[in-house]
Amino acid sequence: MNVLMSDCVHSVHTLNVSQTDPQISAVGALPNGARDVLPIEAAELRAVEDALRAAFSRYGYREVRTPVIEFAHHLERAESGGLDRAYRLFDESGRVLVLRPDMTIPVSRLIATRFVDHPGPIRVAYTGPSFRVPQPGKPVASEVRNAGAELVGADGPEADAEIVLVLWEALRDAGLSQARIGLSDVSVTAAVLEGLGVPDQIRERLSRAAEARDFVAWRTEAAQFVCPEPQAELLAGLPAMRGHTDVLARIAEVVPFAREACARMTRLLELLAQEGLHDAVLVDLGILRDWKYYSGLVIEAYASGAALPVAQGGRYDGLASRFGTSRPAVGFSIEVESLHRAITDGARARDLEFGIVLVGGLDEQLTLSARIRAAGIVVIGLAAGDSRGEALAEAEGWRFVGVQDAGGLRILDRADGTSFVSARPEEDLSSRR
Amino acid sequence: MPLGALYPDAIELLERAGVDVSPLRDGSRKLIFTAPDGTVFITTRPSDVPTYVEAGSADIGIVGRDVINERHPDVYELLDLEFGACRMAYATADGVDPTSEIIARLGVLRVATKYPAVAEAHFLATGRQVELVKVNGSVELGPLVGLADGIVDLVATGRTLRENGLVEREHIFDSSARLIANRVSHKLRAEEIDALTARLAQAVAAESR
Repeated sequence: MNVLMSDCVHSVHTLNVSQTDPQISAVGALPNGARDVLPIEAAELRAVEDALRAAFSRYGYREVRTPVIEFAHHLERAESGGLDRAYRLFDESGRVLVLRPDMTIPVSRLIATRFVDHPGPIRVAYTGPSFRVPQPGKPVASEVRNAGAELVGADGPEADAEIVLVLWEALRDAGLSQARIGLSDVSVTAAVLEGLGVPDQIRERLSRAAEARDFVAWRTEAAQFVCPEPQAELLAGLPAMRGHTDVLARIAEVVPFAREACARMTRLLELLAQEGLHDAVLVDLGILRDWKYYSGLVIEAYASGAALPVAQGGRYDGLASRFGTSRPAVGFSIEVESLHRAITDGARARDLEFGIVLVGGLDEQLTLSARIRAAGIVVIGLAAGDSRGEALAEAEGWRFVGVQDAGGLRILDRADGTSFVSARPEEDLSSRR
Repeated sequence: MPLGALYPDAIELLERAGVDVSPLRDGSRKLIFTAPDGTVFITTRPSDVPTYVEAGSADIGIVGRDVINERHPDVYELLDLEFGACRMAYATADGVDPTSEIIARLGVLRVATKYPAVAEAHFLATGRQVELVKVNGSVELGPLVGLADGIVDLVATGRTLRENGLVEREHIFDSSARLIANRVSHKLRAEEIDALTARLAQAVAAESR
């Protein structure tokens, strides 16, 4: 892959230096899970984020930013145990701070405290890094860039459908052609357990099995609860149920108490089908997470080439009330790096960048440089007589190299290896676009 | 596919579920085998199976519950395949169980194990301090040569323990082979994985009948 090869050019330079200077090799080491981003990846990540942001703003989701550091007790209020893997530090008066371990909770805090007079519904979007202490032995970054959207103050399957649609379009616009969206609803699961009269103790253990994605433990626990067929079979197989509206029809038939929850999700699926998402969506009741946090819809987005979901989200109506304002909320968060990796998986060779390395562009050819830039062409300036022109163009992937010659500017076109002398480089270069 | 004790049973179960396992039977030293239908089998040490599945290098895997409890991989555990049945246990040398005496007088128990996370969780949950000695094989040696007071290890028949003068003192959990799936593959290849899971469940049920 060309992308990787060009990155190697940079690494090789560092390597040469570090071999001669042990101090630099020590400086090159980073904290566990941290990493640098080099120019090609940075540009691609920016393009991905730009596409995501454009999709969010088409639906009127306006950007907000929250601080990287927050008071630990504020975030702990929202998610007990959620701060286990957060980086902690102290402020000048000894209060515990955290680097935000995700974006959803700070954004919920922001909406609950800064949009008090907003008539609603509130649509906000964000992009930014969050931080988690990496687990030993797992290839997980300590800093992850998230891009997400939140729809607050709107209830019901219609709001859920918009959020799923925004997620779908954002992923598509970022270049993910084959996304699949998995949907579940904790209120369906809760209604089944309630309707069957499963006691709290077993429910607690089922919840733990579901969070661990352990269907074997779920079946073992479900077997502790004695009930007639077909209810017993439904309960045992609940997290393994998947498909489309057929799943919900089956549940509503066996457990009438769950009818309302199933009807809500069926309506969501109908709305999504109208938008052309029928085939992209998979109803999967195995997608269960922390029941205390989510109150309805649970969303995951999958891409081949990513080992974990590239986006997660759902409805958490109770979250805002922990910050003082009670409003229904649904949203999602995309992991930008993992999305980028899924998009570049199997990428073709990279094109040369349209720009000219101009020897003399730093000093003797300032007017010419300005003229070429004015024509919308990138000029990378070198001092006159600098012999590194071609090496620089190769290392950074620029298409042209220009050196002043007797008859004008001698230009090498690295796309086909030809060279020519030009009196009006801005025109000759533009014609090669 | 886990090499070692689970391997023959895993092949046999897959075959009974209608999976073409012929390439696995050719006795070669290759690590990757491709069946005529395109199924790729990756063979590896059991403790690495969850790593490959979690990373998406394999869509599904067969691995013992013991490895899952030790590693806590972020994967779906779909089915109990019921072969490779054994138990995780705490054992000490024959005679009077020295555990409570050691805890009372020294405060901390020294335990040799290949499963440090499992051992630590067990003793923490039962309110006892433990000092773990991680060993990679023949754990039974530990108490015999004074390396540790006891061991936490997998016990199938109990014969190895008996022959080395050890007695099982505490049962930690039952283990058997499980079918696991990568979180993304489980959704992107939902239809194939559900079909295979159903066939395996039938084969398991037919066996236990």
